[in-house]
Amino acid sequence: MAIIVELPRLTDTMEEGVIAQWHIAEGDKVKRGQVIADIETDKATMEFESFDAGYVLKLVASEGDTLGLGAPIAVLGKKDEDVGDLLTALANRAAGGAEAEAQEPAKEDAATSTESAVPVEAEATPAAPAEAPAAQTLDNGRIPASPLARRLAREAGLELSQIEGSGPHGRIIKADVDRAVAEGVKPKSADTPKVATASSEVDEHGRPYATHEDTTVKLSQMRKTIVKRMGQSKREAPHIYLTMPIRMDEAAAARKQLNAALAEQGVKVSFNDFIIKAAAKALRVHPRVNAHYTPDGIIEYGNAHVGMAVALDDGLVVPVVRYADQKTLKAIASETRSLGTRARDRKLAPAEMSGSTFTVTNLGMFGIEEFMAVVNPGEGGILAVGAIKDEVVVEDGQMVIRKMMRVTLCSDHRVFDGADNAKFLVTLKGLLEQPMGLFV
Amino acid sequence: MPNLQIRQAIRDAMAEEMARDENVFLLGEEVGHYNGAYKASEGLLERFGAKRVIDTPIVETGFAGVGIGAAMCGLRPIVEFMTFNFSAVAFDQILNNASKIRHMTNGQFGVPIVFRGPNAAAHMLGSTHSQAFDPFYAHIPGLKVVAVATPYDAKGLLKSAIRDDNPVVFLESELMYSVRGEVPEEEYVIPIGKADIKRPGKDVTVLTWGQGVPTALEAAEMATRHDIDAEVIDLRTLRPLDNECILESVKKTNRCALIYHGWPYGGVGAELIARIQELAFDHLDAPVLRECYEDVPMPYAENLEHLVIPSAERGLAAILKVCYKA
Repeated sequence: MAIIVELPRLTDTMEEGVIAQWHIAEGDKVKRGQVIADIETDKATMEFESFDAGYVLKLVASEGDTLGLGAPIAVLGKKDEDVGDLLTALANRAAGGAEAEAQEPAKEDAATSTESAVPVEAEATPAAPAEAPAAQTLDNGRIPASPLARRLAREAGLELSQIEGSGPHGRIIKADVDRAVAEGVKPKSADTPKVATASSEVDEHGRPYATHEDTTVKLSQMRKTIVKRMGQSKREAPHIYLTMPIRMDEAAAARKQLNAALAEQGVKVSFNDFIIKAAAKALRVHPRVNAHYTPDGIIEYGNAHVGMAVALDDGLVVPVVRYADQKTLKAIASETRSLGTRARDRKLAPAEMSGSTFTVTNLGMFGIEEFMAVVNPGEGGILAVGAIKDEVVVEDGQMVIRKMMRVTLCSDHRVFDGADNAKFLVTLKGLLEQPMGLFV
Repeated sequence: MPNLQIRQAIRDAMAEEMARDENVFLLGEEVGHYNGAYKASEGLLERFGAKRVIDTPIVETGFAGVGIGAAMCGLRPIVEFMTFNFSAVAFDQILNNASKIRHMTNGQFGVPIVFRGPNAAAHMLGSTHSQAFDPFYAHIPGLKVVAVATPYDAKGLLKSAIRDDNPVVFLESELMYSVRGEVPEEEYVIPIGKADIKRPGKDVTVLTWGQGVPTALEAAEMATRHDIDAEVIDLRTLRPLDNECILESVKKTNRCALIYHGWPYGGVGAELIARIQELAFDHLDAPVLRECYEDVPMPYAENLEHLVIPSAERGLAAILKVCYKA
């Protein structure tokens, strides 16, 4: 009896996945627990271990396919078993499922805000589906439209993505194009920054400018997640921002001594490790800042798990340093280095990217002095850390040069107010300006 | 203008052509003394004699072959199959001789012959006597295929078929021999290869032929209650198809449904859809649908037969669907 292998839920928040790579081919024998494919999820590229054993009779999905949960991806069975009928049934199922797939965009918006797998949120019911986008798209990104509607839209200079389809499965039909024209949807030439043609725009010498085509970058799973979560946060959470200057001379000296002591062990503590440790300790002092909003009440987290934003080539991830208040700087340093390296290699497990209660994000290495960040859904605050640089400051009426750093606490005003923020920042400032407190 | 049944229009067409050209003659089972199984040759034996109205034994292969040989020798035979179900026995004659002789002899011999008789399901004749032969014959290069649904068309097209220098398969319907309509007294012919708009409309093109014509017209009437103005086109000739008429209509309405009495797989409907998607792709606002027999052998039981043969209600459902009103 043949077995249909379906796309599994590999993370709590996964709604669809991409077959990144097959590790099996048709005809191969597969053992239970064998890695058969790499699946790109909203969080990471995961190894998919087979739940079943048998011969691979058919790979239904191809590398690069984006599929919904439970979508058939392969068929296992006895060697040379005839699965023609089963494949026909699967094809019919796919055809019949087209209607359901057309609803996909709305479903995606209905995701809960708990990518961080916050326990309370995980049980919360999904939010109401948000308004569907103008045009539906098929799995391959193609917008369903009748040939006539395509031609009419082309002639009217309209993008199909600007038109809402009223036909079956969201298909755009002639009536929809007519309506869009009547409602005055702007032709694409009016709002698309297409580069000028050589004939129309020239420099002062009459020479045409070089033209470059616009490109459309397909949304990766990670980018889709960022779009969803950052948009949700900015829509729902009223943000407030408080910036605190912090004198880092003592911390710099402590770091120098510490790294000298740890040099033989190959551990190097960064300023960011100091800040993670200090933030975690400050969170324990001010539990209101280590909290997040739910309609039923504000959840103050018992533990301080600090997420650290790690930039990747095409997005970012937030691995978590758990119990950061209780870990030594050395332990934090080892952990952040490992997490950072594996994040860039896309080797993090979802568990390593979930459960943060607060986040630290640092753009100091680029020379950014201060900036404002967006609170991760499921948390109440994020600390945006700027560069440390020598500045002239006034102390006791004298101008002195100090290593100054500015941090901005960006927070959800529903959870706590400016004064709570300020008190947390005072504690944080104290811990970093007199860093011996971090060692006890 | 006389109001005639289709059987009378067919008889008149044959009589006029036999009177006009002494090379024309009729042969088939029961065409003479019995006046035709469906009385389509009534009075012809009496008028033209036994040399030109020939009762044959029950051997379709034989008399189809005799007809083809006579045609090669310069005569213009009309071969009546009591039903086209029996033409299956003569299929080799039609496929390999009638349709190929002109080609095989490099034009030295032509086969000006008409094979005519009722086609497709009638009423409770069982699966082997309810065949729709339209696609079998329309499939063959070298044949022309005509299907008629009114007395006017039957007479005008049969006269053209008899005068045609190539073999013509002329499909009638047992259930429609008594359908009445006005037929001019003066002589007329209808050219083969021209479709006819039986009901002009602007919202959806309904393509049909033969027994499907009344079904499609009824469905189109029902569609008016849904504010749909359907244009019903009777193809009349299945080979060669009237591309011009079909495409002009589809380009006007942007939608098309097919309602016909025949099976879906690889049929004339499939050929129509292939042409429309190729030649009018950018004019389509909806997929082209067909409503036809269910893809099963025709049942004998009356209740089941009614489920297989497309009703006007099923035709309406197809029209609504292509109009996105279902």
